[in-house]
Amino acid sequence: MPVRKILKDTCILAALMILAVFTLSIIWSGITAEISLVLALFGLALIITVVNFLFDEYLSLTIVVSYIIKYFVFSGIVMLFGFIVGWFFPSNFWMAFIYVGVVLALAFVIDAFTVKRDIGYINEHIRKGNEQ
Amino acid sequence: MQIITRQEPGKPLTVTIEYPEYTESVRGIIKRIESLDIRFSAFSDDRRMHIAMSDVYYLENVDRKVFLYTGDDVYRLDASMQEIGKITEDSDLVRISRTCIMNTSHLTEIKQLKNSRLEAMLDNGERLIVSRKYLRDIKRRF
Repeated sequence: MPVRKILKDTCILAALMILAVFTLSIIWSGITAEISLVLALFGLALIITVVNFLFDEYLSLTIVVSYIIKYFVFSGIVMLFGFIVGWFFPSNFWMAFIYVGVVLALAFVIDAFTVKRDIGYINEHIRKGNEQ
Repeated sequence: MQIITRQEPGKPLTVTIEYPEYTESVRGIIKRIESLDIRFSAFSDDRRMHIAMSDVYYLENVDRKVFLYTGDDVYRLDASMQEIGKITEDSDLVRISRTCIMNTSHLTEIKQLKNSRLEAMLDNGERLIVSRKYLRDIKRRF
């Protein structure tokens, strides 16, 4: 699908641009506040990706239960990480639940749609193979 | 793509592939045909058996022991899931969960159950649980 490929290539290109610009900025002017924010986001993304991988690899749960557990675990990670890097204070730590909730809700919708589409594709090919 | 078949009595089964240039799809076809010749050396009651890949329904890792399931029998295999994964790359065998590799040539349907778990149905009536994470790998085989 060209739209999907364009979006994927855009994300890769954006990541490369950020990497190139930030590498040069670090060399010239050291780690500024903006750079440390992006580095912290990359670090948080890495931690969440690893935890998500371990979840999917070692736990066999239904999709709803899996997303509920992930919601609380990821919120906890974001909160802890936010406290460490200074994003959150005791007064606004609850915002982590909103941020994580929005991202997970989107991921849930995409996941449910993709799984349904992939199952349809596989079953259609099996059916065609049986007809031939 | 043209498919030409001819009978040559007395000669071994031979597959000739002609291609204008060596591409990924040509490499995939060759790997797939080569995989048809793969045989697993497995044990049944201490007797060593050679099982053709086409006879394999699925392989399962149970307590760090790998078992090979055909339509009716179960064999013990002296290999890790990683080793099997390497041997069977680009074949009909595909990982469907952390502990199970399934032969897609025996797959009849994939169903999403009410609790949103995924289930693969095989042509011998067996049902296997599929991890959502590996669904895309199954799709790539078709």
